[in-house]
Parts: sequence; C-alpha cells; structure tokens
Amino acid sequence: MSENHESHHVNYKKIYFTLLGLLVVSVAGPFAGILIVTLITAFGIAIVKANLVIQNFMHLKWEKRLMKWMLTTSLLLMALMFAGTSVDILNHEGRNWVNVAAMAAVERGIEDGEGVAETAEVEVVAAGFNVESMFTVVCATCHGQAGDGTGAAGAALDPRPANFTDPVFWETRDRARIVNVIANGATAVGGSALMVGWSASFTAEQIEEFADYVEEFRPEQ
Amino acid sequence: MAFAKPAATLRSATGIPTGRLAVWWLLASEVVIFGGLLGTYLMFRLGHPEWADAAAHTNTWIGAFNTLVLLTSSFTAVLAHQAAERGDGKTAAKLLVLTIGGALTFLVVKGAEWTIEITAGYTITANGFWSFYYTAAGLHALHVIAGAIIMGIIAADAYRGRELQRVELIGIYWHFVDVVWIFLFPLLYIAK
Repeated sequence: MSENHESHHVNYKKIYFTLLGLLVVSVAGPFAGILIVTLITAFGIAIVKANLVIQNFMHLKWEKRLMKWMLTTSLLLMALMFAGTSVDILNHEGRNWVNVAAMAAVERGIEDGEGVAETAEVEVVAAGFNVESMFTVVCATCHGQAGDGTGAAGAALDPRPANFTDPVFWETRDRARIVNVIANGATAVGGSALMVGWSASFTAEQIEEFADYVEEFRPEQ
Repeated sequence: MAFAKPAATLRSATGIPTGRLAVWWLLASEVVIFGGLLGTYLMFRLGHPEWADAAAHTNTWIGAFNTLVLLTSSFTAVLAHQAAERGDGKTAAKLLVLTIGGALTFLVVKGAEWTIEITAGYTITANGFWSFYYTAAGLHALHVIAGAIIMGIIAADAYRGRELQRVELIGIYWHFVDVVWIFLFPLLYIAK
C-alpha cells in the first residue's frame, strides 16, 4: 500500500451517519416553505455532504498537493465556462439583441402552467381570436405595427424582419408561400430560423386570417 | 529486489501510485463533463422560471431514497478499502458485492421512476427541463453501470487476494459518482 495511507483513523461510520442526517435536513428544508431556507438546505448541504465524501471517503485530505491543484484546475475551467456564457443565457435581451424564442418559451410556459407548450394554449387563443390584436402581440414585435419590418424586437435581427410594404418583397411571394411561412416558419422555404412557425399555436383558419392581414400591407401596383 | 509486475504499477515520479493518479486524472475530466452539464442546466433553469412547473413533477421521495442508497454504497465501498488495507481480500470482495447491490438498487428504482414519468408523458422532448433531467440523470446512470461492472471484476480478484490496491481505486471512482448525485438531487428534485 502507499506510504501515506495507513495512518488515517477516520471514523467512517460517524461520517456515514452525519451524511444521512444531512440528507434528512435537505429533504425537510422545503417543508418550511421559505425560499432561502430551501436553497441553503438544498445546495449548502450538498456542498457540505460532497466535501465530507471527498475529504474522508476519497481521502483527498491526505493526497499530495499536486492532486488538489489538478482538481482546482478543473473547477476553474468550469467556472470559466459559467462566467463566459451565463450572461447570454440568463438574460433574454441585451443592448443589441433579443432572444425571441426564449422569451416566447417563458410566456407560453407560464400561461399553461405546465412548463410545456401544449394544446391548451391553442384553446385560449381560439376563444378570443382577433387577427388585428393578435398581429400586434405576435407579429408586430418584429414586423412592426405598420408591417414595415421596424418592430422594436426586430431591430437587432439579422436578417432583418420582412417588410410587407416593400414592392420587392411581393415580387417573390405568393399566397401559398405566405401561409406556409406563417404556419411552419421561414426555414420551410429555406429562409431564416428567426421567423418561427405558428401552426402549434393557431388553427389553419386563423393562419389564413394572418395571411389575409399580411396581404393588406401589399402596396398597390 | 525483483518486481512481479512493472514498477510503474505501484509507483510514479509524482510519488503517487500510478493507478491512483490515473483515477484522479479521470475524475478531473469528469468534473468538467458533469460540471459543464450541470452548470448549463443551472443557467437555463435560472433563465426559465416556467421550468419550476415541470420540476414540480419530479418525486422528491424517490430521489431521496436513491440518495440514501448511494450514500450507503459509498460507505460499504470505503469499508471495502479499509479491509483491503488490512490485506483481507475476502471481506473486501464481500463489501464490494454489497456496493454493487447498491448500484443495482439505484438502477432499478431509477428505471421504475422513469417508467412512471415517461408513461405520464414527461419524455425527453417534452421541454427543456425534461431534456436536462434525462440527460444528466442518464449520464450519471451510465457511470453507475460502468462502476458496477468494474467493481465486479475487482471483487473477483480481491476475493483471491489479488490486486488489492484496486479496491481503493474503484472506491474513489464510486465516491465521485456519489458526489455527482449529491448535486443532482437538489438540482432536479428539491429546488422547485
């Protein structure tokens, strides 16, 4: 056996029962119903438990310093990843960008209370569907209330949201394509993934109504 | 003095036995693998308050029971190491078999838990929370399976009094698998 491993007199049983006691506390924590207590009993205790296991069962306490440096390096790499990416993931909008998909996911999830975008939402929408107000909510954020592609959330998008008042736009569009893109997203016709499909949220008739509404922006020839 | 096996098996330039250095080296890479996955989950979870509704469907009691199982199996693993240090390969092997029993119990419970959830419609594609839930717990379960298999091989050797230093090595790996679960438990089951 190794030179530094025979002299530990760890009371493993004591450590084990301490770990079990801590497990009970972490399960009991949420019953207090206080967020900060739950967080401390959940994550604070997880750190204490992990440390007990690492130091006493894995014997890191008695390892050479080299080993501790090696693990510290791993933890630093992890922290670096977190620091580098968390700002973009925790926030859904910044000075020059908007994460439309994430914002929509939060909105959908909170509406249906399941955290899952489900058919319930279709019913909610169908009950009081009004194409004009729905265009304001769903489309105008990027395409603009006037359909000219100047919505606030669209300002930073690349490519820019389509401008329905531009004659050039209509040179390459027909009714079928408009309906297809509203229903299935622009990727269905090889366009930008930023224009997502809405067939999960609206009925086919409602999507036709959106298409009618969009065609109203078409300039006279 | 003649060595029965290559000297590098038992010593290294660092002064740490090669096997133990290798296991820790592996674990250092595992820290980045699990750390990256759990860190990403944490970021998304904080950015998506609606995931709390999905997380409310995980069963805290099943999670707590599996935590108990893994903590107990870590205890038997460290007792196996203690027996191996005394040169008692037979006891070490028996304790390793108990540890494997813990691994199997964990997997059976996990299997039942997933069956209930998947039948209820909470599949890996249901939403972001469930994707992370199955990916993180699944990657962890693969480590449990791998550990149990290696432990079986080491127990068979230890029973015959061979390669007793390996009992400690599989123990270190096993405790790491336990530590990962110690963090998965609050992340997936308690913080709702």
